[in-house]
Amino acid sequence: MAIKVDSTIAAKARKLGSGDLDKCYHCGICTATCPLSEDGVSFPRTVVRNLQLGLKSKLMESSEPWLCYYCGDCSDACPQNAEPAESVMAARRYLTSLYDWTGLSYKMYTSKAWEFGAVLGLGAVVVLLFVLFHGPMPTALTAEGGVRLNSFAPAHIIELFDLAMGGILSMFLLSNLARMVKHVMGDDLKKISPKVYLSKLTELPVQFATQKRWKECEDTHMWKKHLLLVCGYVTMFIMIMGFLRWFQTDTVHPFWHPQRLLGYFATFALLYVTGDMMVGRYKKKRAMHKFSHSTDWLFLIMLFLTALTGILVHIFRVNGFPMSTYVTYVIHMAVLVPMLMIEVPFGKWSHLAYRPLTSYLHKVKQAASAQNVPG
Amino acid sequence: MATKRKIGVFVCHCGGNISDHVDVEKVVEGVRGEPSVAVARTHMFTCSDSSQQEMIDQIVEEKLDGLVIASCSPKLHMFTFRGMAERAGLNPYQYVHVNLREQCSWAHTGDKIGATEKGINLVRAGVAKCALTVPLSALRIETQPRALVIGAGISGMRAALSLADMGLSVFLIEREASAGGWVSETEMMGPEGMHGPEVIRALLARIDAHERVMLYTEAELIERSGTIGNFDVKIRLRGSEEIPLNVGAIVVTTGFDTYTPVDGEYGWGLDGVVDLKQFRQMLTAGPLVHNGKPVRDVVFVYCVGSRQVKSEACPAPHAYCSRYCCTAATYTAHTLHQVAKQTGQAVNQYHLYRDVRTYGHMEMVYEQARQEGALFLKWKPDTPPVVGQADGRLCVTVKDELGSGDSMEIGSDLVVLVTGMVPRLNGDLNSLLKIPLSKDGFFNEIHIKLRPVETVIDGVFIAGSAQGPKTIAESVASALAAVAKAGKLLKKGYVDLEPLVAKVDTDKCIWCDECLKACPYGAIEKVVCGDKEVAQVLAAMCKGEGACVPVCPYDALDVEGYRDDQITAMIDASIKEAAIA
Repeated sequence: MAIKVDSTIAAKARKLGSGDLDKCYHCGICTATCPLSEDGVSFPRTVVRNLQLGLKSKLMESSEPWLCYYCGDCSDACPQNAEPAESVMAARRYLTSLYDWTGLSYKMYTSKAWEFGAVLGLGAVVVLLFVLFHGPMPTALTAEGGVRLNSFAPAHIIELFDLAMGGILSMFLLSNLARMVKHVMGDDLKKISPKVYLSKLTELPVQFATQKRWKECEDTHMWKKHLLLVCGYVTMFIMIMGFLRWFQTDTVHPFWHPQRLLGYFATFALLYVTGDMMVGRYKKKRAMHKFSHSTDWLFLIMLFLTALTGILVHIFRVNGFPMSTYVTYVIHMAVLVPMLMIEVPFGKWSHLAYRPLTSYLHKVKQAASAQNVPG
Repeated sequence: MATKRKIGVFVCHCGGNISDHVDVEKVVEGVRGEPSVAVARTHMFTCSDSSQQEMIDQIVEEKLDGLVIASCSPKLHMFTFRGMAERAGLNPYQYVHVNLREQCSWAHTGDKIGATEKGINLVRAGVAKCALTVPLSALRIETQPRALVIGAGISGMRAALSLADMGLSVFLIEREASAGGWVSETEMMGPEGMHGPEVIRALLARIDAHERVMLYTEAELIERSGTIGNFDVKIRLRGSEEIPLNVGAIVVTTGFDTYTPVDGEYGWGLDGVVDLKQFRQMLTAGPLVHNGKPVRDVVFVYCVGSRQVKSEACPAPHAYCSRYCCTAATYTAHTLHQVAKQTGQAVNQYHLYRDVRTYGHMEMVYEQARQEGALFLKWKPDTPPVVGQADGRLCVTVKDELGSGDSMEIGSDLVVLVTGMVPRLNGDLNSLLKIPLSKDGFFNEIHIKLRPVETVIDGVFIAGSAQGPKTIAESVASALAAVAKAGKLLKKGYVDLEPLVAKVDTDKCIWCDECLKACPYGAIEKVVCGDKEVAQVLAAMCKGEGACVPVCPYDALDVEGYRDDQITAMIDASIKEAAIA
């Protein structure tokens, strides 16, 4: 069956940020420049071509957009200023919206009203829940002089909400991931033996934790910063999702206590890297920072604010400012919840799952085709 | 030999180009003993001013009546030494050039004895030929200050006006009812967007006002005789009236025809499949509509009727590139973009090409089309696009070489076939003019780079797309080149032709017409001589090529400068004895 050319897809790609798509005349310098492009997974030019012609089926089955980390070398080398890296970024946004069966993703990528409406709406719901259901707000302090936060928002109740939220998140994300696997693997999905799938399974956690492929880019500077961010984020995530009762205490531990040290490290990592990225996007010195979609800004700002309000809650708590602690805690949750609920399944943050997964599937495909080579 | 000849032989060292591999002194010794040789010596550079002066002095002192110079290729210095001979008072046609460099020293490096032996033989042959030379003089023909331009398209009109501006009288004839040709039908000419009919109107106004240009429409050339500088032609007007004219030169600007696809070629014949010209006409009519519905997708197929590959379906392919089509199609992309913008339509353009040959500044037209969103898909000649119908629309299937190479389908409202140029069928004109055709079927020039507007028929020039696909600018440039050549010929008032032409021995000739059939220049005619018919050479048309000589069963023809007795003597001289014992 011949593939159908669809002009509406290029229009969508332009909406998603690929404004210079038409400038490309396919010299291929971008692909030649890219240190990650290799036989079998050639990009960015092929991605640009598929967007130009609107080959939806080709795009949906391609893992290439996720194998690019936007170092920007291709855009710097492009003789037509067609910004290939930005087209690949647009392809990622397009794919995110395609894998998302709810359709919310495309709406939020292309409409600021949807984007901000969703964030503010969800934030308002969180505030409302606190206003209606918060616990007593004692002004008396603990023996160490800390605020009794677990009275206002008991950790075991917040934990329940955490788990519920995690469940909803996972449902959306996993269903989108399943769609992605179906499209990327196509007919190969069932043809490849489970053994091959198993043999490459370590790729998933390794890529998730280290983004090892990114290291192949010429400039490893951004990879290092991103790694720091991931470390900070994962640390915080584990403490909140798995050990909230240990993390959210009324007792003020000494400074060297792991609860505090880990928290400071995670906060520093999040604030430093998101702050640095915002400065970069503002200054636009690097190719990767030249173009910023509103969703890029929103994601960074929310992550930064989450970390900032988090550390403020801590500061107010250990220094004995009860009301400030409670109010800041509500703000913290009003930022954190929409960030997770919107960005992870429907937004930029979904890359945390798509990237390692495509990297894994790519390895599986490679291993399978190596097995099929006769002799 | 009635009187003993006094020939001077001068052998050139050519710096060392010759003398490094040929012992030039031995060559001189080898011919010094010849009875007709009066002087024999070497020069470091025979072409140098000082050597030439020495040779002139010697020719005058010794009263030489023949000259042999053994040096480089005659292409380089034959005319140099002819001029020198003339300055020394010697008939230039009694000078013989021997090529001792390209044909001896350079060909036999490393074999000095062999090369020297060959050198001696070559010079001996030259001396033998020289001994049989007779004084000749150039054939001078007075040229008539009038020109005939055939075909009043853009090239012909510009040529006629420029010739007239030089002070020559010009007859411009056009087969159609009005002048202007293809340009008068092109409303928008890329890349500047000039209006073709207006350009033609302006040129016509100038022609009308010019006292030395006479434009005949519905006119055809029906007779041509005479030679360079003095052609007698006859023009038939509106199928009846005949006008005899006498002109000094003829410029042929008969133009091209467009390729018409055969039925089924890229969907030709299907509803919505048009050629570029038809599509451009649709663009002039406001919003782009087909069958009452606004057009959303347009597919252009390039190279239709150009760069064709020989196949069963296409036994006589147009193998050449038509040069203008890529620019015309990419310019149309821009026009379509503008029309769509004005009418608020969203039109997707797909250009299926083999190579985009928008050379020179026309590359900017291509760039503009691309940046305005036209998509270019490259196909290979062995997998051409297929145009069919699906879902009530046209559907083009193509393998995009810039993408995965997989087959893909483009739904389309219109398919535009970008057709190329083909040679125009000119009726009897070709046989009247006798200009050879190239393998592509267009009029052929003598040399595409060195003599691009001259033909083998002296005084007949070609220009514009009659000689091959050209853009308008290129056509006009070649028209002006033809004007320069024709103007130079006619303004001088006369032309000197080489006397090295064929001649007929009327005693031997009995007119069998073999020579007439062999001559590619039409330089033979039948005349009555005394009581019989014999062949006569039209010296002004003869190129001295000699095709007539070997075909003559009665040995009645000879070419001056290459007469049988001369050639025989040369062969005898070069093999008569070992040059070096």
